[in-house]
Amino acid sequence: MSNALTLTEKPGSEPLPSSAGASSLINGHYAPVAKDSDGYTWARSSVTILASAEELYAIWRDIERIPQWQDEIVSVKQTSPKTSHWVMQHGDKAIEWDAETLADEPASRIAWHSTGGDVDQSGEVIFETATSKRGTMVTLLMRFKLGSLERALAIITGRDPKQAVVENLRHFKAFAETGEIPRAQAAPHGDRGLVGGMKRSMYGENIPTPPSK
Amino acid sequence: MKAVCWMGTGKVETLTVEDPQLFNPRDAIIKITRTAICGSDLHLYDGFIPTMEQGDVLGHEFMGIVEETGPGVKNLKRGDRVVVPFTIACGSCFFCKSKFWSACDNSNPNAHLMEAAYGHAGSGLFGFSHMNGGYAGGQAQYVRVPFADVGPLKIESDLPDEKVLFLSDIFPTGYMAAENAQIKEGDTVAVWGCGPVGQFAIASAFMLGAARVIAIDRVPERLAQARGIGAVTIDFEEDEVSVLTALNDLTGGMGPDCCIDAVGLEAHSSDLQGVYDKVKTALFMETDRSSVLRQAIMAVRKGGTLSIPGVYGGLLDKVPFGAAFGKGITMKMGQTNMHNYMKPLLDRIEKGQIDPSTIISHRITLDQAPEMYKVWRDKKEDVTKIVIDPWA
Repeated sequence: MSNALTLTEKPGSEPLPSSAGASSLINGHYAPVAKDSDGYTWARSSVTILASAEELYAIWRDIERIPQWQDEIVSVKQTSPKTSHWVMQHGDKAIEWDAETLADEPASRIAWHSTGGDVDQSGEVIFETATSKRGTMVTLLMRFKLGSLERALAIITGRDPKQAVVENLRHFKAFAETGEIPRAQAAPHGDRGLVGGMKRSMYGENIPTPPSK
Repeated sequence: MKAVCWMGTGKVETLTVEDPQLFNPRDAIIKITRTAICGSDLHLYDGFIPTMEQGDVLGHEFMGIVEETGPGVKNLKRGDRVVVPFTIACGSCFFCKSKFWSACDNSNPNAHLMEAAYGHAGSGLFGFSHMNGGYAGGQAQYVRVPFADVGPLKIESDLPDEKVLFLSDIFPTGYMAAENAQIKEGDTVAVWGCGPVGQFAIASAFMLGAARVIAIDRVPERLAQARGIGAVTIDFEEDEVSVLTALNDLTGGMGPDCCIDAVGLEAHSSDLQGVYDKVKTALFMETDRSSVLRQAIMAVRKGGTLSIPGVYGGLLDKVPFGAAFGKGITMKMGQTNMHNYMKPLLDRIEKGQIDPSTIISHRITLDQAPEMYKVWRDKKEDVTKIVIDPWA
């Protein structure tokens, strides 16, 4: 901009990350996540993890270990170099689908979409070095179509599917930083009564904490 | 096992519940030998902290013997004697590495609840609502301690439990309050609230170089305890006493250099604002009664520091922010970063510089806890601190 301030002294300034699809930044300007439309729900979440992009990429890329940190995923099998089969246990119901990797850039970006089965979703995760040696900023973007069954289950289990994206990334961080995911759901307690039980469900405490097996 | 359970506002029961179990690799199970009721337990008792639910096991001040450890806990073994900090911290996130343990990113399973209420989530706490993690507390015979390789402090000397128990919360909390007050040698420090945290804040203010400490309360036993350490006292309920005038009278008109609000959200006030806050909180138009905070902002000297160890939970009304700005004051607050203080304060106890056990007034059983919550809230029976032997 011709009329922007001229500033030559920026002692702590670090370069901006290059923009990827999931990025919150396009040419230096903040971009919000896409609006829900055509039956598709969009969700984006971002965390800073005290580890290198290489380490974090390796954990995410090890898809058969995903049940150790993702909510309700009980099994992931690599079916070919670019395809995999997923099983999710959602309440009493098992949901299965196939997925295909669309982009795989080491220490930088993974993108995928479902190719058949019970879900219609696509997603992208990007790993960018955080400022001030704080590790890596990990951004997860997902787009999915919910059937009426999933919507009903979401109400009962107390987890908005957009919140599930947030929780999955939070659990990835806990798993990467500490080797485990915090849980309190089996804490000893006195009689919860009707309201106490309902509220726990509302808080999402009835969703099993990974690993689910 | 037996445990003290929150069963609704003003309702606490000692019940038989399931024993805790190991879940995560870095868990330990502790057999509790001593536990205590904290002033902040009264905020739960009185229903001021949202997301407490019927059946929750209370208690966040406890110590005991390691019963069992998960495969990820290498530094503790069965039989070790430990004091457990009330804040749970993973030790490996940005906040733990920055010594801001009470902001740990990885110890609160219900972080989303606190994010909705506060913008970002603090660490998990024992027995302190679902927003703070939903962990069962330690007013019980056993407790599960997550990240047991990071928090528990081993006690290797033969000091009795009662001398080291308060390293679990109130001694470090009082000490951090004094540290947050940015006391410089020769400063005058005013402390509102002479309960256990206030007593430790007064002691810590002297340790950090305060020339004079002024203590404010209305409970005679507490004021006597404060004078016992060497503070001067003000009873805010005595006739003709105005705390602001008193603090100016005692500081040559300047006001205290440092003010510590060791009261928090359930402050009692003898003037009209006390009635105002009672009505507004009853109608849910504000959540916290903030008369001490207001007074401390008005009292502190220009450019002084206000430290807030007292717990606040929600929305405050009529806080004189203009006075805070106009006088250019600094405010520091928050849950205690326990892990920074436990070891150095244990050293002070071991050297005989301070004996925390002298504040204890009542020694009780788990079965007596429900009745004693009421005594503690109403400040009856000259109560100053209640300690529980869970096996008595």
